[in-house]
Amino acid sequence: MTALAREYAEDHGSNPSAITVRELSRRITSLLSVPQTQNVWLTAELSDVRQSGGHCYMELIDKNEATGAIDARLRGIIWAGNYSRLNSRFAAYTGGQRLATGIKVMVKGSINYHASFGMSFVINDIDPSFTLGDIERRRIEILSRLRQEGILDLNKSLEWNVPTLRIAVISAAGAAGYGDFINQLYGNSSSLRFVARLFPAVMQGERTAASVIEALDAVNERIDDWDCVVIIRGGGATSDLVSFDNYDLAANVAQFPIPVIVGIGHERDVTVLDYIANMRVKTPTAAAEWLIANAERQLEELRRVAADMLRAVNDKLSGCKTQLAYIEGQLPVAPVAALDRMKARLRGASSSLIAATTGRIAPALARLDQVPASIQLALANTLGRRRDKLSAASTLLDALSPMATLRRGYTITRVNGKAVTSVDDIKPGDTIVTSIYNGVVQSCVTNIKPVKQ
Amino acid sequence: METTPVKELTYNQAVAELDSILRTMQSDSCDIDKLAAYTRRASELLRECRSRLTATDEELKAILADLEK
Repeated sequence: MTALAREYAEDHGSNPSAITVRELSRRITSLLSVPQTQNVWLTAELSDVRQSGGHCYMELIDKNEATGAIDARLRGIIWAGNYSRLNSRFAAYTGGQRLATGIKVMVKGSINYHASFGMSFVINDIDPSFTLGDIERRRIEILSRLRQEGILDLNKSLEWNVPTLRIAVISAAGAAGYGDFINQLYGNSSSLRFVARLFPAVMQGERTAASVIEALDAVNERIDDWDCVVIIRGGGATSDLVSFDNYDLAANVAQFPIPVIVGIGHERDVTVLDYIANMRVKTPTAAAEWLIANAERQLEELRRVAADMLRAVNDKLSGCKTQLAYIEGQLPVAPVAALDRMKARLRGASSSLIAATTGRIAPALARLDQVPASIQLALANTLGRRRDKLSAASTLLDALSPMATLRRGYTITRVNGKAVTSVDDIKPGDTIVTSIYNGVVQSCVTNIKPVKQ
Repeated sequence: METTPVKELTYNQAVAELDSILRTMQSDSCDIDKLAAYTRRASELLRECRSRLTATDEELKAILADLEK
């Protein structure tokens, strides 16, 4: 014993109440065994999830909402007896999601303090609906952010190169899914000339998003060499889909300049990428089948053009042949037919002439026939009118005739044939002729005595 | 009629020319004197398009062998 140790022992004395670590651990264990720490439901984010000897170990963490820094940490354990049951139920309920770093869980368990391992939370139940809700919420958040940024539909609205034959494949090297894809693609029955190249990437775990983004960048470096990108992964029931629900990866895929096909899940597995990639398929094989069908449509189109072309040539040729045959057939007949047509035309002309002539002369004759009668009628009318006029005139004449006057006793005296109306017209010695009603008296004038008026 | 060598055309250009030749051939104004020339050009274009879509057996074998390395 050193002097210092001796001094210390003298000051404190030997303390009989000192206990062993084992004893302290036992006390802690009993202190912790209260209802507040036993069978409690806990929500946490998972980190450092690993399996060993059938047991599953993980860190249960709480992160600061604003900074993302870890506020609280607790070791979690699922013992092998519970793990396979809980794990398969969890995967079935969440559509293939496994317990992995980054997911949020609601677990039931008890605080346990072990003398050599310290404090752990021993999990005996998991509520998968909490995780599902969290995954869903995260997807919705990422999708609505992409929509706000106006890039959600960018990849979907890209036009496909025609033909689509040069395929950049992003997959884990040596993965079964990649092998399936390549076999399907190159084994196509139409001998389509596909060119595929692998851009290897980590397809599960925390590194997934960054690794796939790196592969996309590598494709983008020689983007003109490629018609599309295929992101594939061999499925499997315990697929880690949450790794693909990543904003950066989604934004990269959405804005990628050529169409992206994703085939990273099965039937029910859906990730954010499924919403933003130009084409979504269930499996790598389905991706290859889709590409083959797409290229076969091009082949079919060529076949159709070839068939149409053949038909057009045949139509044209047979049309020309038919025309020639028709002309040939017409040759012997044509002159005769032409003569017949001439004759017919002549006949037609003469009958038209006749028709025209009779048509014109007959009415003219008919009109002529009417003329004499008209003349007679007109003559009769005129004569009648004249006769009436004459008889009226003679009556008037009778009334005005000098004979009537003479008969009443008047006479007319004329000298040299001129009627005398004044004594100045005559001189003694003139011979005057006096007309009386019933005779003429010739007298010699001896004396003239004018009468004063 | 343009006579760009078929190798220099893109697939889309080749198909577009095929379509236009086809339309010309189907129209009434198609000149029978040019029919042979049209057909020759069309079959050249078709052959080129097909060969871009499909690989020969030897090529396929070479590609598969390459992949298996």
